[in-house]
Parts: sequence; C-alpha cells; structure tokens
Amino acid sequence: MNGNEHLDERREASTASLALVVGILIGSALAFVLATAPFSALLGAGQGAVPAMFHGLAAFLYLFVGTIGLYLAWRLWTGRIRAFADLQLLATVSATFSLLAIVFGNWLYIYYRAKDSGSPRSWFMANMPVVHKIFFEFKEFIALFTLPLTVAAAFILWYYGAQVLDRKWMRYTVAVILALSFFYLVVAFGLGAAVTKLKPA
Amino acid sequence: MSGKLLEREREVEVAWTPSASRFIPNGAAVAAIISAMLGLITLAVVNLGTAASKAFNEWVHGIGKLWMPGAEGIGPYSGKETLSALVWIGSWIVLHVALRSRDLNLGRWLIVFLVGIGIATTLLWPPVFEYLAGH
Repeated sequence: MNGNEHLDERREASTASLALVVGILIGSALAFVLATAPFSALLGAGQGAVPAMFHGLAAFLYLFVGTIGLYLAWRLWTGRIRAFADLQLLATVSATFSLLAIVFGNWLYIYYRAKDSGSPRSWFMANMPVVHKIFFEFKEFIALFTLPLTVAAAFILWYYGAQVLDRKWMRYTVAVILALSFFYLVVAFGLGAAVTKLKPA
Repeated sequence: MSGKLLEREREVEVAWTPSASRFIPNGAAVAAIISAMLGLITLAVVNLGTAASKAFNEWVHGIGKLWMPGAEGIGPYSGKETLSALVWIGSWIVLHVALRSRDLNLGRWLIVFLVGIGIATTLLWPPVFEYLAGH
C-alpha cells in the first residue's frame, strides 16, 4: 500500500458540508452578538428598523454576489471562462437576492412614506425635498431593473447551458445584461445607503 | 456543433447543460431579453401616467391593492410594480412560445434591448418625467 495514496485523492467537498460550515460560522457569529451586545440598539430605534435590516442584508449580499458575477460576466465576454457553473449559480443567486431586496424594500417603504411627521419622506419633504423628489424616487424605480435583468441572464445560462460558450452574441448578451444589472444595483445601493444615512426609517 | 460542444463540456465546468447534440435556436434568449425590456418600459410609462393624471394614479394604486400585502401603505408604487411584472411575465410567455424555435439576429435584438432600457431609464429620471407630465 502506498503511503501517499491520500495525497492523490481528488474528492470534491459536498454541498451539504459546505452549507454546514457556513451555517455554523453564521450561527456562531449571531450567537456571540446576541449574547454580548444590545441587539435592539444595533438595529436602531426607528419603526422600520426590522424591515430595514432585512432589506439592507439582502442588498448587501446581492452586492457581494453581483460583484463576483460581474467578474465572471467579463470572463464570459472574452470567451475565456472556466467557472461557467459558478456563473450559472451566481446569476440565479443574484436574481434571488434581487427579489428578496425588492420584497423587503416594499415592506420598508411603508415606514418610509408613513404620513406622520417623523417618517423619512415627511422629513425630507420639509428639509431636503430634492432628496426624496429626485434621488429616492429614481432609486426606487431603478432598483426594480435588477430583477428582470438577472432572471433573463440566469434563464439564458441554464436554458442553453454550454451552448452559450460557442455563440458569440449569446455570450455578449449575457455579459451585457449582468453588467447592466450590476450598474443598476450599485446606483440603487449607493442612493439607498445615502438616504438611510441622512434619515433612517 | 455537437463534437465541439462535448469538447467544451470537458474543458469547462458546467452545472447543467441541455443535450449537446441538439442545437437550440436563440429565439428563447431574444424572448427573455425583450420581455424584460417591455416590463421596464411599462414601469416607466405607467409612472409617467401617474405623474400626469391623478385619476390614473388612483387606478394604479387600486391594482396594487388587489393583491399586494401592505399596498395601502406602499401606495401607487405597488400598482406600478404589479403592472410592470404582469407585462414582463405575460410578454415572456407569449414571445417564448412564438420565438423558441426560430434563430434570430441576436446582435440586432441586443441593440433593441439596450435602446429600450435606455429609454426606460431616461423616462424614470424624475426631472424628465415631471417635465413630460407637465409639472
């Protein structure tokens, strides 16, 4: 028996083991925070603190995934991509996070536009109307662009599979859609973060 | 094509791919991008309409209130999302069935898509739609 046999073993880690490791890491971090920190102070005192947390979390995770997706989209554009499976998966995850960010954004919007004088919209209209009338209104619409764009990209990648790689215009199409969705994500994310910084919901 | 594809699948890690021996026409890809564009143009046009007409604005809000939880608080935005999604999904189904077996000039349709997305974005810039709505 060769003593180096274990070095030759090529076995990929299972998805279940990866999910377990990620779950344990996130669970440990959450348990540590909840056991040692005033969690309500972390969320903020506003009525919309909970939907704001979910909305921000979904948007932040989408930003991570979208950034990697943008890089892989560029690799696809050049025709030199090996991690095509990762792009298929990331496009799908991007579409999922886009949907979640929109759903939680709707929930948060209820608190944003509440009629009481303490709501962010009331405050902006009284003090900085341009922030609501231009930047927020634009942000709320272009954030919606990310969903159909990422869904279309994911659909093409799964429907055509490896056939995308040998068809120049299909590669260009998917790469352009993913780059555009990233552009809309970054603009919406930046404006959302700025609005939240000025007046949290 | 099939031999080249099989070679590709050996070179590149692919999560899932259809049968390599069957060439899939690009009509389904055209349907996917054009329906997305139509949904977003709908969003822009409906928003312009709500800025121009109070009655239309109330009607759009009523559409959102038909099904969306919290639509009363979300306001007309709920109806704009609903109409945009309906046009997107509805046109996708129709176009997919109509185009899936056709091979089209994808480059040309990509340009149409980009122009449409550009128009939708421009129409949603508040100074533009407020001006067009007569404010």
